[in-house]
Amino acid sequence: MGKQAAPKVQAGAEGTAATGKVFPDAPALRLVSSPKRQKILEGMLEVVGTNGYDTASVRMVLDLTGLYRQAFYDEFADVDACYLEAFDFGVARLEAIARAAAAAEESWQGQLRAGLGAVLAALDADPDLGRALVVEVHAAGPEALQRRSQAMKRITDFIDSARHASEGAGSPPPIAAEGIVAGMHAVVHARLATGEKGGFRELLPEFMYFAVLPYFGAEMASAEMQAAKP
Amino acid sequence: MDSPSTSNPDSVPSGRQSLPRAYLVRSQRERLLEAMLRVAAAKGYEATTITDVIEVAGVSRETFEEMFGDKPTCFLEAYDAVFDVLVAHVTAAFESAAGEPWPERIATGLRALVELLATEADIARLSMVEVTAAGDDARARYRAALARFTPFLEEGREYSSQGGELPADTARFAIGGATSMIFDEIRAGRGPELKRILPDLVFAVLMPYLGPEEAEDEMRRVT
Repeated sequence: MGKQAAPKVQAGAEGTAATGKVFPDAPALRLVSSPKRQKILEGMLEVVGTNGYDTASVRMVLDLTGLYRQAFYDEFADVDACYLEAFDFGVARLEAIARAAAAAEESWQGQLRAGLGAVLAALDADPDLGRALVVEVHAAGPEALQRRSQAMKRITDFIDSARHASEGAGSPPPIAAEGIVAGMHAVVHARLATGEKGGFRELLPEFMYFAVLPYFGAEMASAEMQAAKP
Repeated sequence: MDSPSTSNPDSVPSGRQSLPRAYLVRSQRERLLEAMLRVAAAKGYEATTITDVIEVAGVSRETFEEMFGDKPTCFLEAYDAVFDVLVAHVTAAFESAAGEPWPERIATGLRALVELLATEADIARLSMVEVTAAGDDARARYRAALARFTPFLEEGREYSSQGGELPADTARFAIGGATSMIFDEIRAGRGPELKRILPDLVFAVLMPYLGPEEAEDEMRRVT
């Protein structure tokens, strides 16, 4: 087995931009270990997103990144191990994008609209990344699905924080947040899996409707749906 | 799986000659599909081999290849057969509740769904979990299969006081929410206790159409 120390993934505004092809405006993600490791992770995400998990190979990652075989095996034991870390890295990147966009907003609705809008725009810019994280994860085994669950839980917790957001917030059962995240995931997954180009940002109005409805009611949900239209 | 016995004419070579070929072909096909269901649910799609399937079915490799050609094709047909069973079961329940208000019909349909999945672990595993790992064609099939539940939900648009406002994707959102929860339970090995999440499923499906208060009322009714 090769070295598999998990690097700490940091989201920081300083430092040089990530070598990935997208998110030029996103805060740079600086890995503790090395730019080479980051390059491999980005390459893995692109290979998986483009070709699917089952056909992904070290060879494909090397061809894409221009790195030598030893460079990969210095960092990772195999495709599976690399993908697990690439998954966490990709998720961390999207979370950083969401947080950066939401930082300027004070209300829960505002943060949701900004954060979710930014992530959907990111999917428009790089659907391969979306496929690697949302669709192909299902082919990557139980450990990957475990990490997926953890990521979904973080989103669910944020949605659920609506109940504390303001005096006007209602108190739907705890399952409400999970249902919202599951529903949004299903719509995004379907779009990514069919390979349709774009159209993710256009989902924001309806997602705002579904997310706001259980906490603030139908009138507010409709208003948020209108406000989210581009 | 039934083991060959003299009382089963399909498995006894000397008896074969007297049965119409179409009957034998159909029953061999069904045995292969059933075998694919059992093996893929037990081992996972990836690890399932044609050898596994033909051994469990008691059918020759030649016959398998004539009928399906390859593993993915057999899997997809097994999947379709399984989903036909699911849809028929839920449709029957939904229709048996004709005349009741739409939310209650949905609850009845969901109850039938979780009861079937809780009882038939292999069907649950194949239809809800393994299919997502079986490649693009399988996933496309899965989406098409889930869309068969859309008509049950479209009635919700008329019932809902928000009908005109409801986003186009509402049915997909509601179905997606429910299936995602079911997926998590089955994957975690809690398939047999699936009835425990029936209230959650009712809430998740009805909430987009009825809003939180009414959805919660229905949720309490099934608790």
